[in-house]
Amino acid sequence: MHMNEAFAVDVDNVRKSFGSLHALDGVTIRVREGEIYGLLGPNGSGKTTLIRVIVGLVIADAGTVTVLGRKIPDLAVLSQVGYMTQQAALYPDLSVEENVDFFATISGAESNVGEALQLVNLDERRKSVVATLSGGMRQRCSLACALVHRPRLLVLDEPTVGIDPQLRVQFWEHFRQMAAAGTTILVSSHVMDEAERCQRLGLIQYGQLLAEGSPNEIRQQAGSANLEEAFLRLAGRPQQ
Amino acid sequence: MSARRVGAITRRLLQQFRRDRRTLALLFVAPVVILSLLGYMIRGASSTPDVGIANEDEGPFGGAIASALHSSDKIKAKDVNAADGDAKLKDGSLVAYIVFPPDFTSRVRQGTIAPEVHLEGSQPGNGATVLQALQQALTSLAAGPGSAVRFEPQVHYLYGGPNFDTLDYFGAAFIGLIVFFLVFVITIVAFLRERSQGTLERLMASPLRRGEIVVGYMLGFTLLALVQSAEVLVFSLAVLRVHNEGNVLLIFAIEALMAIGAVNLGIFLSMFARTEFQAVQFIPLVVVPQFLLSGILFPVSSEPQALQLLSNVLPLTYAVNGLRDVMIKGADLNSTALQIDAGVVAGFCILLIVAGVATLRRRIA
Repeated sequence: MHMNEAFAVDVDNVRKSFGSLHALDGVTIRVREGEIYGLLGPNGSGKTTLIRVIVGLVIADAGTVTVLGRKIPDLAVLSQVGYMTQQAALYPDLSVEENVDFFATISGAESNVGEALQLVNLDERRKSVVATLSGGMRQRCSLACALVHRPRLLVLDEPTVGIDPQLRVQFWEHFRQMAAAGTTILVSSHVMDEAERCQRLGLIQYGQLLAEGSPNEIRQQAGSANLEEAFLRLAGRPQQ
Repeated sequence: MSARRVGAITRRLLQQFRRDRRTLALLFVAPVVILSLLGYMIRGASSTPDVGIANEDEGPFGGAIASALHSSDKIKAKDVNAADGDAKLKDGSLVAYIVFPPDFTSRVRQGTIAPEVHLEGSQPGNGATVLQALQQALTSLAAGPGSAVRFEPQVHYLYGGPNFDTLDYFGAAFIGLIVFFLVFVITIVAFLRERSQGTLERLMASPLRRGEIVVGYMLGFTLLALVQSAEVLVFSLAVLRVHNEGNVLLIFAIEALMAIGAVNLGIFLSMFARTEFQAVQFIPLVVVPQFLLSGILFPVSSEPQALQLLSNVLPLTYAVNGLRDVMIKGADLNSTALQIDAGVVAGFCILLIVAGVATLRRRIA
């Protein structure tokens, strides 16, 4: 148990099947507190299922998941977890502020709304109805909803899909600042320049962890000069 | 269960509806349109009803009036035997029959015009037409024996009564049906939207309990439904002047129960639909059978035995029954029948809340 305390997320030999599909086939990953951990893998590799298991949306068939020292499923720990998907999950009929305020109220963090809106630079658009916003602004609003309660762990499932490079840089700057302030960030992606910004990476394919380590370690392990090539080389191995 | 979090959901729902004008229109304009149409259809009918005439008069006047009725353009008159009359009212081939009794002529000579008018009664618009036609036919007679005659038709009703019209019968049930139907449709679609836009997943990854989500939804929609119920009730009683014997608050209470039931049925069934389009497909599946089998159009007791069994498990049957008991018979809370009806509807509400909470997790994955 003492060992677990150092990890914000401890996924141990987790399996999950949907019918005959083994979405997770014995995955073990450990995310340290305060780091940015990148989950890499092609579409359908099991990234999203793993993330959903971590936030308690999917119950694993086997194995254990521990988040911030609490065994999942655990409703109480979710108040310290922020969750965001590539789909800007917002109420289109509500204004930016009303959306953020709603999610803040659920977690008892009503007083943080203004700060969250400033952080994502939506302060001057707070009264805009979400349906009228651009995709990038929606994604920023979605991020504000995920971090308004100042979670200790931020879980982001492909948060930068479909947004322009400028905003992507902004997002990663937010993530870096939050990690520096002690927030643990688990982020999935299939964009390699994003992977470079993570402290550690986990490569997932066919529901299994192929490799884990810092970007440098991954490159060395694959014997490649750049991460993209390393990824393809490691992922190209046939399924065991 | 945290009041703050439940309140957050309720408040958010109401905020959403403030901007969703079309759904608001459905909630508050549709009932008036439907009720107006129904009122017009039923009261504005301009058909010529089939009326039987049985002339047993031993004198000449019965025959004279009968022939005047035959040439009336308000009704379609045909000769019948008085003994067959009630059977023909029941099978619907006649809406009324008029009997001129054997002593009709002699009583006219004594100053009283007293034909027997037998009305089916459930379509009261027709009754008025028949009496009008009869009165017109009598004017030819009234010129004859002098102006001192009194017109005293003996009116018998198979169903209903003199002041009762069709809208009074259907209106009671429709008040409930409209609220039930609209609230159900809006809830099921709103809950599905929550799923398709990904916010339900976000809620499930938050500290919210499933019960809090369901109760928050229930409160938000019930609040809207109560406003709608009040509107429907006021419109029905004040504008359409639907007959009401009972306590208005009691009607409102039954409507509120139906609304809560509809909200929870919507939440529960939304678990079984993946898209809003699929949700709409529940309407013919869930709403139409209840509409047909709940006794709104045809009394449950007149259904075949197998269908009665089905009718007796549908919540709407009890709600409609309760509304009619209150509005037509003037039942109050001391009435055992009403207690049973209200109890069954309340039981359904609780059952659906529990079912909704239980199935909420299943549909997230």
